[in-house]
Amino acid sequence: MIAGRRLPRRMARLSVFVAASALFWPALPWAGALKFALLTSPFVAICSSVSLRHVGIGAAAGFAVALVVMFRRRWFCRYICPTGLLLEGAARIGFAKTSWWAKCPPLGGYAALLTFFGAIAGYPFLLWMDPLAIFSNFFTIRTAGTILSGFLAGLGLGILLLLSLTSGTFWCTRLCPLGGIQDLLASAISGLRKTGVVTAESKKKIMPMRRALLLGAAGIGIGLLAGRTGAARGENAPLRPPGAVAEDVFAGLCTRCGNCIRVCPSKIILPDLGQAGALGFLAPVISYEEKYCLEDCNDCVKVCPSGALQPLELEQKRRYVIGEALVDGALCFVTLAQKDCDACVAACPFDAVRIHWDEDLYAAYPLIDANRCNGCGACEAACPVDGYKAIRVWKPATDYAELR
Amino acid sequence: MPNEVTRRELMRSITAGGLFLAGTMTPLSSALAQTREAVRGPQKQTPVTRAPATLANEKVAQPARELSILRKTGVLVVGGGPAGTAAALSARRLGVDVTLVERYGYLGGLATGGLVLAIFPLYDKNNRQVILGIGEEMMQRLDKIKFGIIERGKAPVYPTVDAEAFKYVLAEMILEADIHPYLNCWGVDAIIDAQGAVSGAVFESKSGRQAIIADVVVDASGDGDIYAAAGAPFEKVIDSIGLVSRIGNVDIEDLSGENFEHQTGTRTQSKGARPTRGAPIPVLQGNVGSPTPAPGVNWLNMKGPVADALDVAEVSMLELRHRRALWNNLERARKRPGAENAFMAETAPQMGVRLSRLLDGVRKLTMKDAKAGTKFKDVIGYSGDYVTPAFQIPYSCLVPSKLENLLAAGRCVSADFELADTLRLIPICWVTGQAAGIAAAISIQDKCKPRQVDVAKLQRILRQQGAYLE
Repeated sequence: MIAGRRLPRRMARLSVFVAASALFWPALPWAGALKFALLTSPFVAICSSVSLRHVGIGAAAGFAVALVVMFRRRWFCRYICPTGLLLEGAARIGFAKTSWWAKCPPLGGYAALLTFFGAIAGYPFLLWMDPLAIFSNFFTIRTAGTILSGFLAGLGLGILLLLSLTSGTFWCTRLCPLGGIQDLLASAISGLRKTGVVTAESKKKIMPMRRALLLGAAGIGIGLLAGRTGAARGENAPLRPPGAVAEDVFAGLCTRCGNCIRVCPSKIILPDLGQAGALGFLAPVISYEEKYCLEDCNDCVKVCPSGALQPLELEQKRRYVIGEALVDGALCFVTLAQKDCDACVAACPFDAVRIHWDEDLYAAYPLIDANRCNGCGACEAACPVDGYKAIRVWKPATDYAELR
Repeated sequence: MPNEVTRRELMRSITAGGLFLAGTMTPLSSALAQTREAVRGPQKQTPVTRAPATLANEKVAQPARELSILRKTGVLVVGGGPAGTAAALSARRLGVDVTLVERYGYLGGLATGGLVLAIFPLYDKNNRQVILGIGEEMMQRLDKIKFGIIERGKAPVYPTVDAEAFKYVLAEMILEADIHPYLNCWGVDAIIDAQGAVSGAVFESKSGRQAIIADVVVDASGDGDIYAAAGAPFEKVIDSIGLVSRIGNVDIEDLSGENFEHQTGTRTQSKGARPTRGAPIPVLQGNVGSPTPAPGVNWLNMKGPVADALDVAEVSMLELRHRRALWNNLERARKRPGAENAFMAETAPQMGVRLSRLLDGVRKLTMKDAKAGTKFKDVIGYSGDYVTPAFQIPYSCLVPSKLENLLAAGRCVSADFELADTLRLIPICWVTGQAAGIAAAISIQDKCKPRQVDVAKLQRILRQQGAYLE
């Protein structure tokens, strides 16, 4: 009887695992697949929706899962989670047979609650702990340009596998916020069914009320503080991919799933290694070396599950200001009268750069029309100045990303 | 009275006939003159009938007159710049008679007299040199001259030549090749036959207005003066016109990067600092340009304002204002450490006219072609990597859409304005010049029109002459 029920479940899980791998690779031509696959996580769907005060169509999957897990305990873990399948396998072949962590409180639930209240404050700061995002980011190894970025892309899943090898199902049962949120949802509904209030009376004793309130207060506090401290702000903030929400909440909303990094055809989106401080670690930043943000592409904004990159139509994305191009005259061939050059002029897809003849100075230099420039970096990629480019894209002086 | 008129007319025609004879004999007589030392003092004048322009009713008329024929030649190359010299040399190598006419008193055009010393672009994105042939031969000769050329074979850094060394190299090559040169000789008109095909060109020089009859004319005038005069359709364009100069006694090694910190009042801007919008500050300091092969001598480029190169009033004012501005710049530059004792070594004899006329050719090469990396069956060479990756140049953009017996070479070939901005550069003028010269020679040898030249043969000879076509 039991074995008969397990077989189809195993088949289901295996097929989900294969499907998820194919989606995150990404192997499908439909960019949106990456986003919707990740949004089946109720943790990401709920916390990002709360944080943005907006429920997108994609989040419906996560909400549906949330509804199911209220009545079918840890249904997502048992039937869907590809990370869980990997970790269970690792735990089975692992060498730790004792559960030293048996007395450990359900930290995953705490993390979920903290993040939920952080989301209320606009900064869901532990969203990066989502196991689907960690699974997805593993595939970023495929497009990693350097050993370091490949290592960092696989780091999350690597740590979880190591943890499972040494400590069994510690992650899944105690640490995972996606597991934790399922427990919270289930206990909430069972509590409601029994007494009408969330209490510690339910059989599993998920969380005492007082602790939940304390965690909530802490979550809101951290959420309010996080955006205002760690990350570099204003002109010093790193360049973000198009569609990025305001810099103070971007690093909080980003799940570090690596989707945008993988789908970028120009490979200009890279994981942040510290430009925006510790809180921004591994969130996507833009770097124009040889290529630029193509004027006919909006793939990155199509794949972001949490809305850290807002889903912009192509026309909107073309108007999204990533930054502004500025010329360092001390490096520019034309400005220094070293030779003729109009590489930036020829490269600009928006006719935002021209070589201006200044009759008063009796000199020529590149002049940028700030109303046309969206910081796509075509000029920077084309600039022939060796090493440090003469024309570079800088963060706009305004603190908030905006559509023009 | 009628008799008198008849006699005058008779005399006139006799004189004209004499002039014709004298004209054709000129090369011979000048060759004889070299063997005999000239004696200074008054000279016997050959009688010449003058037919000056006349003013009547506020209108100036130029009476019709017969022109003396300076020379009859196979290939007439108008313009002795990079394209013209390459065309003359490559045509001469096929054994045809070549005449080269140049407006200034030296060869090299903008590469020497314009002080456009940067030999750019030469390389593709893999740093392979894709422009070889005659241009490469010129550079190899410069290699052998002390201070002749720097940064050779250091792709992607492009070579820089010394203008005087280059003038010398070109003089040697043209003399060695037994090409007939006419300097200080300005091509002013085309000669067309009854069918409207080009059969030579008219020149003004101290010897007056004279004609050179040719089987094929290569218009390497830069401005397309000859094809325009012959009535070929073209596109008139205007672009920036600057004046390049050389500054001596400059001791500033590294002009950019970390060592280039410039004071702007209280603030020092250095590499990595956020630049301000609008006008850059360093130009206020006075520019010193970049190094040339000559020690302590830098060349200073100038973009200049957009102006009409074909408007004599405009370019005259511009040239004077440019020279004044160069001195103002020098004053400012002298305040910079390392340039205190800088001096004006030279302002270019020629202004840097970038583009003026673009031929309507059999094919108009476009920026779209270049960006798409279009391959041509009649490829004659490549441009190096610049605003687009290295792209192919077809023979059909040197051939006028209708006009016969003329090929364009240099910056006045058939291309859209955007791409012409690349085609006008020195090494690419070598490429179009060499191909035009060979094609002109083939058309004479094979007795066909330039547009009917066997492209496979053209490409074979280009390869034999060392050109890169792969």
